[in-house]
Amino acid sequence: MEVVRIVIVGSGDGGTFTANLLASELRQEIRGGSTSVQLLGEHLAHPFQPGNLDIAFKGAEPRKYVRDETRLLRRGIEFIQDPAVKIDLDGRRVTTRSGRVLPYDHLVIATGAVADPSKVPGLAEGSLNFHTGPEDSRRVWEALQGFGGGTVAVLIAGTPHKCPPAPNEAAFMLDDFFRKKGIRDRVKIRFLTPYPRAYPAEKVSNVVGPMFEKKGIEVNTFFNVDSVDPAKRKVYSMEGEEFEYDLLVAIPPHHGADVIVDSGIGDADGYVPTDKGTMKVKGQEGVYAIGDATDIPVSKSGVVAHLQSVVVAHNIVSEVRGTHDELAYNGRINCPMEVGQHKAIFVSATYESPPEDQTPSTVKYIEKRSFAMIYWRALNGSLERVFDMFFGQTRFPAEAEQHLPPKAS
Amino acid sequence: MSALQPHKVLDCRGSFCPGPITELFKAYRSAQLGDVIELLATDPAAKADITAWAQKSGNEVLDVVDEQGYIRILVKVTKKRS
Repeated sequence: MEVVRIVIVGSGDGGTFTANLLASELRQEIRGGSTSVQLLGEHLAHPFQPGNLDIAFKGAEPRKYVRDETRLLRRGIEFIQDPAVKIDLDGRRVTTRSGRVLPYDHLVIATGAVADPSKVPGLAEGSLNFHTGPEDSRRVWEALQGFGGGTVAVLIAGTPHKCPPAPNEAAFMLDDFFRKKGIRDRVKIRFLTPYPRAYPAEKVSNVVGPMFEKKGIEVNTFFNVDSVDPAKRKVYSMEGEEFEYDLLVAIPPHHGADVIVDSGIGDADGYVPTDKGTMKVKGQEGVYAIGDATDIPVSKSGVVAHLQSVVVAHNIVSEVRGTHDELAYNGRINCPMEVGQHKAIFVSATYESPPEDQTPSTVKYIEKRSFAMIYWRALNGSLERVFDMFFGQTRFPAEAEQHLPPKAS
Repeated sequence: MSALQPHKVLDCRGSFCPGPITELFKAYRSAQLGDVIELLATDPAAKADITAWAQKSGNEVLDVVDEQGYIRILVKVTKKRS
């Protein structure tokens, strides 16, 4: 019997969730031996990345936000702890670090994005961050314990980055932290952003900007970092501005995974050119990319990876069964942002509709916190009906996909 | 259409903020003084955002042209930390 081979590269949110959806939907085919699902990943530890904010600014224990990958997977998935080092789209095969070669009929690229402080001179030495993992997030918390006063700068050192609201949340959480510690009057919080306003989307910024002002968080816009001088504790912009700091919390520049770069299948930043509707890798059949790995101009976030996974799993099942009812993702984002004092907003939009006006509320804060509690269950696909009700329409038949204006010649 | 030959053309049509200005910053990062960057956008905020950035940073918006269904913005890099 010829086996239909589905290979998923990357075992983060998108890869794990797609594998589980496929294992659920194709369980008969997998049991019957006509289909295989192989998931490649580097680590057994699977982190809940939004938890990094709590580790960095609330002192949460890193282990609270980590689970064993094998315990998150449905039956029928072969998890291979051996990361891909080469993706050969022409030869339709993936090579792992140990030299194993996996041919595929259907491929999902879920290799994520890499936060890389080394891309800015002096940044790695001069800053702390909560994007490179739970342990580095813990270092932020430790630094805050010994901080008695001075300037804390929150710096967006590159775009796009994972979790667009995270820098703003960091500033709000720092404000909360220093107020609780009773030293807020001795701390200046400076927010350095390349964007024109406190948050890139204007209607969200209309909420965040005045709140920053009220809390005494100083915003410096159009600050595109050039370099950091750790000895002088100064950060410089390409535009010629410079600021001093005592503690620098940075959102490092991001790029695509090494396997994408090394395989020559990414753009200049290592992101995979992807159809923003069907999630197919451009110019390929049966090959998809999801989440942070793509070049699609939407938020790099777990919710986006989740919603794209639903589309990709459906489209692969459609190919396996020959039903030809392809779906397309509508660009829905839904990023929660804590704004301090147990309140939050949600940044929601689609490709066709930018974020709307927001009012911070405790209910939204509870919603955000609730999601963190159900995340592990959500990864196995058993809560999809709840999510469908919460998110509303996030996908539509691919043939109805709207097209952009014609490109200039 | 401007007769200037841009060093780089950024097609940001169909992308909302921060898409267009983010693409401009990426091009600015690798640009030399004197380079001209052309940006195409459907986002109505692009014109105001890019003009504000140029004013603050000391760079120059050479032209903003209304095309059919989008705008074309020409930016000259006149200030950048060396």
